[in-house]
Amino acid sequence: MKKEGKKLKEKVQVFSDSEDETIQSPVVSDDAYESFSEGDDFSKNSDSELESGSGSESESGSEESQFSEDENQDGENPSSEVGLSDGIDNFNQGDQSGSDDSREVVDESDSSEDEVAPRNTIGDVPLEWYKDEEHIGYDIAGKKIKKKEKLDKLESLLARTDDPNSWRKIIDEIEDEEVELTKEETKLIRRMLKGKAPHADFDPHAPYVDWFAWDGAKHPLSNAPEPKRRFIPSKWEAKKVVKYIRAIRKGLIKFDKPKEEPRFYNLWGDETEKSGHGLSYIPAPKPKLPGHEESYNPSLEYIPTQEEISAYQLMFEEDRPKFIPKRFTSLRSVPAYEKSVRETFDRCLDLYLCPRARKKRINIDPESLKPKLPSRKDLKPYPTTCYLEYKGHKGPVVSICTDPSGQHIASGSHDGTVRIWEVETGRCIKVWELGEPVQHVAWNPLPELPILAISMGQDVLVLNTGLDKEEQKTIADLLRVETPPSAPDDPDSVGSSVSWSQYDRYEGIRIKHFKSVTSVEWHRKGDYFSSVMPADILLIFWFYFSVLIHLLSKKLTQRLPFKLHGLPVSSMFHPTRSIFFVSTKKNVRVYDLVKKKFIKKLEAGVREISSISVHPGGDNVIVGSKDGKLCWFDMDLSSKPYKILKSHPKDITNVAFHRNYPLFASSSDDCTAYVFHGMVYSDLNQNPLIVPLEILHGHKSVNGRGVLDCKFHPRQPWLFTAGADSVIKLFCH
Amino acid sequence: MPKHYRPAGKKKEGNAARYITRSQAVKYLQVSLSVFRRLCIFKGVFPRDPKKKVKGNHHTYYHMKDILFLKHEPLLDKFREMRAYEKKVKKAVSKKNKDLAERLLTRKPTYTLDMLIRERYPKFIDALRDLDDCLTMVHLFATLPAIERENIQAERIHNCRGLSLEWQAYISRTHKLRKAFISVKGIYYQAEVEGQKVTWLTPHALQQVMPQDVDYKIMLTFLEFYETLLGFVNLRLYHSIKLKYPPILDPRLKALAADLYALTRYADAKDRAIGANNEESELRLAQLQDQLPANEPGALMNLVENVTDDNEEDEETRACKSLFQNKTFFLGREVPRESLLFVITAFGGVVSWEGDGAPFEESNQDINYQIVDRPTQSHRFISRDYIQPQWVFDCINARILLPTEEYMVGKVLPPHLSPFVDDEAEGYVPEYAETIKRLQAAARKEILPMPGGEDDDLENAQNLLAEGIIDRTKAKEAAERRQKMALHEKQYHEELQKEMQGMQETSDLNADEIKTDGDEETDDTPASQPFIDDDTNMSMVSMSRKRRRLYEAMMLSKERKKANVETLETRKKNIEKKKKTSSD
Repeated sequence: MKKEGKKLKEKVQVFSDSEDETIQSPVVSDDAYESFSEGDDFSKNSDSELESGSGSESESGSEESQFSEDENQDGENPSSEVGLSDGIDNFNQGDQSGSDDSREVVDESDSSEDEVAPRNTIGDVPLEWYKDEEHIGYDIAGKKIKKKEKLDKLESLLARTDDPNSWRKIIDEIEDEEVELTKEETKLIRRMLKGKAPHADFDPHAPYVDWFAWDGAKHPLSNAPEPKRRFIPSKWEAKKVVKYIRAIRKGLIKFDKPKEEPRFYNLWGDETEKSGHGLSYIPAPKPKLPGHEESYNPSLEYIPTQEEISAYQLMFEEDRPKFIPKRFTSLRSVPAYEKSVRETFDRCLDLYLCPRARKKRINIDPESLKPKLPSRKDLKPYPTTCYLEYKGHKGPVVSICTDPSGQHIASGSHDGTVRIWEVETGRCIKVWELGEPVQHVAWNPLPELPILAISMGQDVLVLNTGLDKEEQKTIADLLRVETPPSAPDDPDSVGSSVSWSQYDRYEGIRIKHFKSVTSVEWHRKGDYFSSVMPADILLIFWFYFSVLIHLLSKKLTQRLPFKLHGLPVSSMFHPTRSIFFVSTKKNVRVYDLVKKKFIKKLEAGVREISSISVHPGGDNVIVGSKDGKLCWFDMDLSSKPYKILKSHPKDITNVAFHRNYPLFASSSDDCTAYVFHGMVYSDLNQNPLIVPLEILHGHKSVNGRGVLDCKFHPRQPWLFTAGADSVIKLFCH
Repeated sequence: MPKHYRPAGKKKEGNAARYITRSQAVKYLQVSLSVFRRLCIFKGVFPRDPKKKVKGNHHTYYHMKDILFLKHEPLLDKFREMRAYEKKVKKAVSKKNKDLAERLLTRKPTYTLDMLIRERYPKFIDALRDLDDCLTMVHLFATLPAIERENIQAERIHNCRGLSLEWQAYISRTHKLRKAFISVKGIYYQAEVEGQKVTWLTPHALQQVMPQDVDYKIMLTFLEFYETLLGFVNLRLYHSIKLKYPPILDPRLKALAADLYALTRYADAKDRAIGANNEESELRLAQLQDQLPANEPGALMNLVENVTDDNEEDEETRACKSLFQNKTFFLGREVPRESLLFVITAFGGVVSWEGDGAPFEESNQDINYQIVDRPTQSHRFISRDYIQPQWVFDCINARILLPTEEYMVGKVLPPHLSPFVDDEAEGYVPEYAETIKRLQAAARKEILPMPGGEDDDLENAQNLLAEGIIDRTKAKEAAERRQKMALHEKQYHEELQKEMQGMQETSDLNADEIKTDGDEETDDTPASQPFIDDDTNMSMVSMSRKRRRLYEAMMLSKERKKANVETLETRKKNIEKKKKTSSD
């Protein structure tokens, strides 16, 4: 395929094959490849323009023609034998003007000595010296060698594209000619690029031939005797062998592969009980089973309406339902559940991160939690319904009291009046206009002495009701204060601070205190009565004077000979014995008045005690508190409450025992009064029986206050309640 | 140091000594947190709730005994060994010591979880009791794609799939499936194995969503344990029905992704082999089975006649087995084949499907039901019913063959109800549940005297439905009549009472003049409501605080339930109202 009549070109054409990049910078270090290194130098100056020679004959073909293809072509072409010679030395002289020095092709030698001298004789001078000249140098005869006409770029490109062998053409710049590499040459280049010897038949690893003749030498290189170690076995090797032997014997080194055991076997073959590690295993709760709403096709009522779904958005994140039911008309339309991996993951987290604890789940009827109480029918009679209303007061009725016979009832109100009503008819018999809000009213417990004690502001009034006509004389005597009592010798008396005087407006006595009096209580014999003044905490002195006991017959006053700890709320005389109860805000203190001894402290454990009542037997006390709790104390049992009844949502204002019936009641600011059955047995081993009986409604709330007082009728199982709505009600059975 | 020496500040007893926090535990065991987590998952150690949280509320507490239990675990040493080994390999590789690295790679330490399973489940029944999560997880992973990034390897997915199918094959072979429910989340199955109810969820066979924020490491750790557990459980179950485990499957069917069918075939083949006292290898048998004509529904029937089986089976299993007995099903292309194949064979039916490896063709004349899930069916055989897949599930849950009319192709399906709900306890019974109950009752009474013909059965059921409807209308009428009667009676009584009260009122008025009429009225009629409250209040008064709180909590939950039922009822009313207006 060689074209003999080809012009030389100034340029070395680079390979246009895919291997171009590798060929562009070959590393040639061996002397044997000098010719190529020259060619390589040329390629560096490949900026100059291409010149088209007589490339018209060049066959058209693709630039990218494969090397193997060329090989085949070469194989077919007998002229390839010519190409065995060095391509660089091949040139065409046909175009040379005046130069006839065509050289013979040297066969089969690539050594530098064999190389034919170049046609150009300029030697190793820089080529740019001839850049502007017409010639490129001189031939051996000293004639100028003319430069060839250059093809312009387009033409050269066309020529290259037309010529299938263009990729193996290079330009020899010194000779200014184009050289086509033969197949063998390209092979050589290829091998060199791979770092191999250029010729395939060269063996780089030929066995070494020692050309030095040892045998005939007179003197050996070394005359040392053979060392001992060459004759005895190595100790270290022996040691290593022993080590291996031991390892093999021990089974540390195995030569045969381990047998494939079946992965699974009967793990629970012997069902022997194995004990755990002592801690109770708490199995994880099973995931919740799906309900109807999780069906792919639930009934229509399980699907929330659009409004409900939008309402979910307004809910708190925690309250929002996790799953919103959806309906699919057929199984094929059900999509993959997007949270299935997520939910399984959450379950995994629950399994190993959630603390587990055994919780007792009670599966009982909630009604069975209620205590078994005797039926209320058996505990009759007790007040159930409102039969009478006593109307007349203008302000809230704070205190009521029945007279010992049960015919009359006295009531004190914040409108400054005290009224006496006839119980059975509801008629108001008497009205005292006192001018100041009344705090407390109390009848004298003696039936023959119809006297009323009233606490009002800083005064305690003892007034004659005038109901008993026969005893008027004695009452008048009793209620007369003749002379101001002389200064007493008794240290307990407090005559100086309390003054007894005749009450001018109505028939009675006025006992002036130094503080406002909240409650007045009579002794059972009707001669003594106590008054309570809640003193200021800062004035410690008044602790001794906050509870006073008055003696009506002698018009004497004495203080309680004990120090009180806390603010007194109310006081109470024991119904049979000379025992006195004082309730402070925190607890109830019990004193013996005869022995002048402190007996007991009853601790209610409530926030603030508001009222106290003593069972007619005297061993049981109930205490009402401002947090709505009612405490029943059994005095013989303990100083702690026997039972605490949380009945009212609001403050308890008063508690009361019935004198004959086993009843007690509590009234509260929530406008209700509770009636309880409170049976105290004479047998000391039996605990009192407490049964809630009835809730009495009827009063209205005024300024946040409801029922202010409740009292039982002394004989009948009737209950009077006084309300903040200025009405007194009578509840009968 | 004396033995009783206790460092200052260390507690000897009480919560402070008994419980330690997680970080303390990790420090105590000298492991990394991830190893601790793996250990906890494998050993089944969970945090506990101490009464008094010494270190504060935001910590998780482990019992000291649990931690000691972990400390003495051989697996812990194994984990340490593996860590050391990894270090060795890394070092060898980084030092370019190729020989050593290769030698080390052949000696990689491995561990097994066998003894842990034995330890956690000392008896087989314990393992069954705790199988729910295991099955759900394995079934989920059987449908997941293998993701290299998350270290979910394809072989594990294959293993999961194999295990789940083996389990299903056992369940369907022994007819232990009790309930099945198609939910939005997937299909729930409940089986009863050795008296234990095992419930699991299989996701719908679709591409699953893989969230990014899930730690797949944890799930894979769980899966590792579950795979081992299910393997042992399956082995035990297979041995109990005298099958070899792991089963050797027909490669042809396996290639067609009809694994479950291959497994059932395997089981059947083995069974027949036992019957013939043939002691050939399983492989040979499977091959033999393969050579047999595929179109042989009688194969399953052979099993039913197995006498030994009958003795062991309880009433329910027998009922389950005979539900679809002598019924032949054909599954359409669009139907979830695997689940239906499982369910129908579990209830004694014979199934084929459209596609390769099917035992018989669509044109087979024995087919009773063809299950299709498409809007319309063009070509129909007259001899069979074309039904939607829900019918199978509803039949299973009702344990009767429901009339097929409502489940025909293209029909709007009746609601699919959950079999896991106790409607009476819930307080609300959906309408369709009542219908099913009526059908069940009818089936129990009517079918007994009748000879058990297949075709008759079907017609019977349809007749029964009609009868049920007639009955229902009758019952309704009767109820209405009764109500009317009751109303009349009530009126009469009220009148009587009014008369009586009138008498009393007049007498009362005579006695008590002050009493106002208004008061009386309030006492009589509207006050009755507060009085009911009073009763509860009164009993509350005498309760202790603890009991009162409990009572209140119970009432609260009751009310919540009631509210739920009420919303359902109102929704239903609204729907009915809408229907009426639209029909009008």
